[in-house]
Amino acid sequence: MLYIGELIKMPSEYIIETRSVTKTYKMGKQEFRALNGVSLSVKKGDFLAIMGPSGSGKSTLMNLLGCLDRPTSGEILLAGDRTSDMNDNELAEVRSKKIGFIFQTFNLVPTLNALRNVALPMVFGGISKTDREKKAYDLLKKVGIENWATHLPSELSGGQQQRVAIARALSNDPLIILADEPTGNLDRKTGEQVMDLLSSITKDGKTILLVTHDHSLKKYTNRVVNMLDGRISGKA
Amino acid sequence: MIRDIFLMSLDALRSHKIRTLLTLVGVIIGIGSVIIVTTAGSSVRLFIEEQWNIFDPTAMVIGIGTASDPPQINFREMGFTDHDIEEIKKLPDVKEVAPIGLLPLKGIKLKEGFLKWQSKAGGNMYATTPDLLDIMGLKIEEGRTFQNKKNEVVISKSMTQLFGKDKQLKVGDTIYIQRIDGKLIKSTIVGILKEGESTNALSQLTAISMAGPVDPYYSSYFGSNVGGIFRHITAYGILYAEATDKAHVNDAKNEILSYLNSKSDAINYKNKNSDFVVITQQYIISKVDQIMSVMSMLITSIAMVSLVVGGIGIANIMFATVTERTREIGTMMAIGAKRRDILSLFLYQSSMIGLLGGILGCIIGASGGAFIIQILNQYLKELGGTFSSGNIPLIYSTQWFLIAVFFGIVIGIAAGVLPARKAAKMDPVTALRYE
Repeated sequence: MLYIGELIKMPSEYIIETRSVTKTYKMGKQEFRALNGVSLSVKKGDFLAIMGPSGSGKSTLMNLLGCLDRPTSGEILLAGDRTSDMNDNELAEVRSKKIGFIFQTFNLVPTLNALRNVALPMVFGGISKTDREKKAYDLLKKVGIENWATHLPSELSGGQQQRVAIARALSNDPLIILADEPTGNLDRKTGEQVMDLLSSITKDGKTILLVTHDHSLKKYTNRVVNMLDGRISGKA
Repeated sequence: MIRDIFLMSLDALRSHKIRTLLTLVGVIIGIGSVIIVTTAGSSVRLFIEEQWNIFDPTAMVIGIGTASDPPQINFREMGFTDHDIEEIKKLPDVKEVAPIGLLPLKGIKLKEGFLKWQSKAGGNMYATTPDLLDIMGLKIEEGRTFQNKKNEVVISKSMTQLFGKDKQLKVGDTIYIQRIDGKLIKSTIVGILKEGESTNALSQLTAISMAGPVDPYYSSYFGSNVGGIFRHITAYGILYAEATDKAHVNDAKNEILSYLNSKSDAINYKNKNSDFVVITQQYIISKVDQIMSVMSMLITSIAMVSLVVGGIGIANIMFATVTERTREIGTMMAIGAKRRDILSLFLYQSSMIGLLGGILGCIIGASGGAFIIQILNQYLKELGGTFSSGNIPLIYSTQWFLIAVFFGIVIGIAAGVLPARKAAKMDPVTALRYE
């Protein structure tokens, strides 16, 4: 069976669509099914929280949506492109052009200063030095730490590092931003500032997927998906 | 983008200065020793070539001994007669021949009578013909050469100090030379040799301190007799000869050998088991060259081992770096780095270590080479003799510097391939989760 959408690229109101996605890991001889038939549609501009206890499959879903991994079965469409059967280079291209990542542990490159960290995705995206430095500086300004542009990550506080990471996630003009426990390593107040920053970004039309088990973050989002045992539970 | 990835790998090296430096050491030692060896080699080779040009390449030594490689001359085996010398002179490609009569001395003194010997060491003198000085390329600095059948000697510059600085020997002085058999010969010093001016590599074998005519110094000497006491034939252990020109050195050598092995007096006087031996200057210089190339091969192979060890060092540190930066690699992949970007990031890093090692190795090798040439020159001065007048020039062979730097990069890349592949093949999900 073929979907019409595979033959003709139908303009869709959904930026992310997954259909019956499963992911199975082999651990020795044991098979472990991390995702068990996930179908999910996300609209452009959504601020979606994916919640669930650890082991529920939310991180696995995040990795698949972020094109870091391929599903065992089922299909994933990102802005109409079928990413579920792309090769490594094509996936890297999608990550480079359409996706921004924010991690719990910030994951800045320790040898690069804030400005160059923000510019790094544009290096892999092949953007010229002057263009990317200007854009990186503007983004640092947007997240409010342009005065720290020449500092190394080790010289920044956790909140500042996460702001650099957010600026980095925005630097390639992604359609989707994936944030994996972005406040997990921050104190309450800093965490709130970071969440405020993220919700302001959705107003620019970016789609944000937030993975968390902190229920207090629900208030920033406009939609919540609960996961349990590799499935979406409740309303999807 | 390549430039940016390259700069990022530089940053990584700069942020671990000590680690980078320690990794460099192996490469620096390897490359440095190659440069030292090639610098010393090319310098000494040029020196020898220069000397070879000054040298009279037509000279050769004739003796009796073993015709092995290298040939050996037994200085004590007498056999060549005056008749042989006359016959060899007649050979078409031989220009000059002179005998060397080795004359061991009991001592030298300034006055006749039963005084204590004033000279410290007896040593040897050479009884010969004035032709010898020509063949050896020796010049008289003061006075003139000795004449046949006269009690005249020429002495080397260092011999003038024999009785101390305050009793320096001069041209015209009279000395009493006592041979090992006790005969005392009153002699006049007629000339002083110019120091270090010999143009003859062979004269290194037989540095002259004092020389005089065969008659009277050698002809009545028992050590010169061969064939029993009744024959009383004067014979020599060594002849010096000169070919007509450079192209005929081997012809002259062959003519001499064929004469000696057929019609010579010497063939009757030498031991049955001994051979006639002719050593040319060309042979000596080719031997020096051979020794040098064996030496440089030896040191180069040690350097190669050190380079391989250096390469393993780079590979080791690169594996450690890749493991240490696993999460960073995952992050870079997440933000859009392709596998080949990661591959080049680490390959640049390891080849930069190789390049840096190559450049630093060249600098250290160049200064080490200069140092060794300086030591060699000092040693030459102390050695005295023919070579002391020369100075080994410092010659850097440019192509070896280029080869060394190139080799450094190659080793860096070779050592980086496996770690870089390991990095590039990482699964981004696992890498991001790495603690």
